[in-house]
Amino acid sequence: MEESRRDFLKKTGCCALGMASLATQMHHFGTISAFAQKAIDEGRPAGGENYRALVMLYLDGGNDSNNMFIPVHNDSQVSNYAAYDAARGGVFGLALSQTQLQNTNFNVPRLGNLTYAMHPSLGPAATGAINNGIYELYGQGKLAIVANVGTLVRPLSKGSTYNSTPKPYQIGSHSDQKAQHQTSVSNTQVFTGWGGRISDKLTAVHNPTGLVPMITSIAGAQLFTAGQTTLPLAIADSNTNLNAVLNPQGFGTTPTGANLARRDAFNALRAQDLGFNYIEAASHVTDLAMNANAALQVTQDVTVTFPNTGIGRQLRQVARLIKERTDLNVNRQIFYVQIGGFDSHTGELNQHVNLYSQIGQAMRAFYDEMVVQGVSNDVTLFTLSEFGRTFNPAGTGTNVGSDHGWGSHMMVMGGAVAGGDVYGSKRPNGTGDYFPTLLMGNNPAAFDDADTGANGRGRWIPTTSVDQYAAVLAKWFGLPQDAATLNAVFPNLQYFPGTFSQLNFLP
Amino acid sequence: MDSRISRRVLRILASMALICWAAFSLTAQDPDPNSPTPILLSEMDSTRALAQRPGKVNSRTDLLRSVSPAFSPEEKMELFVTNIDLMDGEGADAFRLYVLDRLGRQYRFPVLAIEALPGAAGIYRVTALIKDEIKYWNGPAADGDVFVFLTWRGLSSNRVKLGIGKIGGDLPEDPTARPTPYAAKSGRNVSRTEDTDAIGYRWAADRKRFAEQATFGPNRALDATLQRFGLRAWINSQFNMPYPSATNPYPNTALQPVNQPTNCNGNTSDGELFPTCLRDSYSQYQPQTWFFKEAFYGDAQLKHRVAWALSQIWVTSGNDIQQGRHMVEWHKVLSKHAFGNYRDLMKEMTLNPTMGEYLNMRESTRTAPNENYAREVAQLFSIGLFMLNQNGTLQLDAQNNPIPTYTQDEINALTRVFTGWSFCTVAASCPNIVAGTVNFIDSMLLNPGITNAVQNRHDIGAKTLFTYPGSAATQTIAACPPTGAGACGITCPTSGTGNCTLQSGFTSAQALAGVLAYANTSMDRAIDNLFNHPNVGPFVGKILIQHMVTSDPSPAYVSRVAAAFNDNGFGVRGDMKAVIRAILLDPEARGDVKTDPNFGKLREPVQLLTNFARTFNVRGAAGGQSDGNFSGTRVCGRAEFNNMAQIPFQAPTVFNYYPPGYGIPGTTLLGPEFAIMTTGTAIARATLINRLTFVAATAPTTTPTTAYAIPYPVSGVDCPNGTSFDFSEFVALSQADNSGGQLVDELNRRMLHGTMSDTMRTSILGTLSSYGGTTNLTHESRVRQAIYLIATSSQYQVQR
Repeated sequence: MEESRRDFLKKTGCCALGMASLATQMHHFGTISAFAQKAIDEGRPAGGENYRALVMLYLDGGNDSNNMFIPVHNDSQVSNYAAYDAARGGVFGLALSQTQLQNTNFNVPRLGNLTYAMHPSLGPAATGAINNGIYELYGQGKLAIVANVGTLVRPLSKGSTYNSTPKPYQIGSHSDQKAQHQTSVSNTQVFTGWGGRISDKLTAVHNPTGLVPMITSIAGAQLFTAGQTTLPLAIADSNTNLNAVLNPQGFGTTPTGANLARRDAFNALRAQDLGFNYIEAASHVTDLAMNANAALQVTQDVTVTFPNTGIGRQLRQVARLIKERTDLNVNRQIFYVQIGGFDSHTGELNQHVNLYSQIGQAMRAFYDEMVVQGVSNDVTLFTLSEFGRTFNPAGTGTNVGSDHGWGSHMMVMGGAVAGGDVYGSKRPNGTGDYFPTLLMGNNPAAFDDADTGANGRGRWIPTTSVDQYAAVLAKWFGLPQDAATLNAVFPNLQYFPGTFSQLNFLP
Repeated sequence: MDSRISRRVLRILASMALICWAAFSLTAQDPDPNSPTPILLSEMDSTRALAQRPGKVNSRTDLLRSVSPAFSPEEKMELFVTNIDLMDGEGADAFRLYVLDRLGRQYRFPVLAIEALPGAAGIYRVTALIKDEIKYWNGPAADGDVFVFLTWRGLSSNRVKLGIGKIGGDLPEDPTARPTPYAAKSGRNVSRTEDTDAIGYRWAADRKRFAEQATFGPNRALDATLQRFGLRAWINSQFNMPYPSATNPYPNTALQPVNQPTNCNGNTSDGELFPTCLRDSYSQYQPQTWFFKEAFYGDAQLKHRVAWALSQIWVTSGNDIQQGRHMVEWHKVLSKHAFGNYRDLMKEMTLNPTMGEYLNMRESTRTAPNENYAREVAQLFSIGLFMLNQNGTLQLDAQNNPIPTYTQDEINALTRVFTGWSFCTVAASCPNIVAGTVNFIDSMLLNPGITNAVQNRHDIGAKTLFTYPGSAATQTIAACPPTGAGACGITCPTSGTGNCTLQSGFTSAQALAGVLAYANTSMDRAIDNLFNHPNVGPFVGKILIQHMVTSDPSPAYVSRVAAAFNDNGFGVRGDMKAVIRAILLDPEARGDVKTDPNFGKLREPVQLLTNFARTFNVRGAAGGQSDGNFSGTRVCGRAEFNNMAQIPFQAPTVFNYYPPGYGIPGTTLLGPEFAIMTTGTAIARATLINRLTFVAATAPTTTPTTAYAIPYPVSGVDCPNGTSFDFSEFVALSQADNSGGQLVDELNRRMLHGTMSDTMRTSILGTLSSYGGTTNLTHESRVRQAIYLIATSSQYQVQR
């Protein structure tokens, strides 16, 4: 018997309702149940372990680190102050004077004890200083510099193999270079960050009963924090107390009656209609927030005075969470904080005074707080930025700035850091130990400038890839070092031999 | 001569005829917006998919077998679908094949081909690859049955079982599923019902969905208008609507000096120019409140909505732009061209002083070029980073890698075209100069203030721009010759900071005029070079779809919109009206019901607020209109929008509040707004709704039966009227039906256009019973309870 279309349609049932009924039992991605499933899949921890945390300080916009660390020596073999001063346009360009740099000098053992200097705002001369900044920490061996870090697909040197070596896509694009720093994958777009992938691997091992995710961002959703099975906590800075940071208003502290009924229904609705991806994703984020909110009903604050700046408040919030770590049942944590404003196409000199003062002051306060909390050896803060900037200035006079470059210098801070030195300046082909060579364009000795020709502007070819830098941090954090794990978290690391022996700024 | 004239007359007459025909056809009756629901064929007596390895289907009996095999990962397979009605050119990229495994994990297999099956009317063969493309989970595991279903135009098919690795396993039964075997006539009945005797646009759910996509939210008046006129006629009427509303003109606060003068510094003791001088001049208060008032009350909703979408592509920000008036002048360019041509938008925005300030073009010169604008106009505003197919998918090279649209060389070349333009400071060319202020009103000018040609700031050397199929006419700009035809009359050093040299036989004025003519020609060619890039249609079209309709449109939908961008039907490229029609009238956007699990988008905070406000008759706290106070640096309500990570006119960076390529974390499913959906902002949304729904005013008191929430009370100059809502009609529904059923059903229609599931309805009704009695207050409380629960639900946070 042939059936009518009406009967036919009726028999197929309503797919939407059918899907919903299945999906209410289990979310289909990014869920607590998935979280627990992963924990079971990957085994439980041995238990009883120490604490470790990584803090990423992201310098958004592309930091001109050419003016963060500056050669002040006059060694004729190595790029020296004269080369810096000449190329950065003298005192009317971007160059800082020897006088400005005289109070923040430091020696670099790995570069023949030559003398360099930090931007003065990283020291006690910072605007609005409430501490001595991070310059002192270098001398105390608690701060290391990793030179000329950037995105790479394979080791890259100027010369005959330069053109044939695969390179990152869209060097010079903010969004793409930021993504590549945060994913550590520079040859193709991927959807998880290296922080997220570490969290995927280690959450079940180290935080099996954690009440909050392994990763917390104080700067919103970031690719760095996205894992395949884990989502980050994203909360506001220390202007909001932990107990209010995820607390929806309106239910009252101990809801009763209609408020209780409303809160229960508010929670119940999030388990419904999950067959629709966007509903599921929104509900999942809200679930995560409500679960964390229950765990964060504490008042916890820091001892040390933090600067009341955006980055100061973010790091203060991180410090509060670290202080609360035991009650949150977490043995491993990753934090993301960010400061913007580094895209200094113009007005760079004034911007740097402001920005470096903020980060120097906030980092120091954070370090001191970690000392007070007794975890300074267990917490490592590091910087990343999507690119450095052209050594050759853009514009002139009071408006002078710089354009998008490539590699830039990073900082690593903490008690576990083998500080007081500069790492990573050796080129992949084994030559050099420069900082980098501060020569540009068609100068025959301009080994580190990706630009060629008379108009070369000094965009440094990175001597250390983000993957290498990140892998050293991850190793210290406890990422298993078997090839399968390393390839999963840092797919291109395998192409960079000698990473851990050369970049030994952490054990 | 005569014949030339008559040919021209004929051409004009012909084009007029075309226009008349177009106008007539565009006001024609709207068709049924509903597409048929695809049906995947099953075996005869089970809900197992009728599936096979690629091969022939020899006879109808092949469609009647019950021996479908299990498949291995990475293998191709064929399924059979019916009850679809393909448009011309609609193919595999209109379909997606979703997979649910026994753990409830979702996957998606690429659909490689679809073709009508000869000899079996209405049956199509779908070829898919067993390989997940969502990439959240590894798998699915080859250990037994999974469910598969096909989506098309926002609709899901039935679910059928498919064996991967083996037949069987632990897949739970779907009690609602029925076998859907091949029946000889099953594919033929795809014609859609046409009710010729009904008047107006009858599809109520689609009307409200349309209002969510095309405006700042449905309300009763708009719904009635849409019903009376239909969608096409409404869109056409919007194209001619004055904007902004006569009662809400663009704020015209006078330009102020860069350094705040003492008579405009907020300190009343030294005599302010006018009491709110600081707020109105040096913050975004004026554009922000103007924006919300227009969204709440304006009639030209479509232009406001499209301009809002464009403002999130051509981003500037009051975080870096000093004065509200500067941002107003930028917004005027967006709205001026929202229904115009994209090329005109590209050119006028390139010369807009606010954009020039934001992305540094106004200070980029021959000797100190700044590539910021050149890079972003390519990457973010026109062509994007990678070569696209017309359907928005990436073109791949032989190694399967995406193909970059440009390198640093093209950015450098474009940067050089854009050198020498700056703020309009020459009285003869700049009517809006205000002494002591920077001219943010007139378009930028070449070499302003330069009287000696040797100081020329424009790079007159040769440039090679973007290269792509068809770029030959625009990709090169020759150097400006020092002498002869079209001469610039100068030569300039190719590097360094030296002056140019005047050629003999030229005066400085002649040379400057020559450079200006050359720079203008170069500008037009560079804009043409970008505008004609084949990426622009799919790149911009997809972002606009994402802003208005759905976050992860099918490639086929993107392709149809890109086609409208490429040619509006009359040979014109870049016609925004054609693009907007294509987006809003596409079958993937339209329809009463959308069952595709990936259809829709997370409402951005601004849309969350405006949809709520318009649904509930937004008004001033003491009657009259709201003052639009919700965001900004000096305004009530700032905290809420800051906490939700979207302050209008204050995008954090040129990448907007969220990037178009953002995916749901860990997946390839696009969901741009999820970039600002974090644990923190999710709670901030609930807190906003709590405030809108529950927080009562302190002053002034109003009649409790008309205004139920006064979250932003009347206080001081920043909040002269406050903002309030009117829930009274819903109180009446609660009073009429003590079960709450009528109330919840009406809220379902008005807020969710009927998508509320039975479980959700039951949950909400359950909480209403916690209020006993029948007093007026009780019904008010019930209304608020129901509204809070719906508005905070993910089901409402997502527009679908």
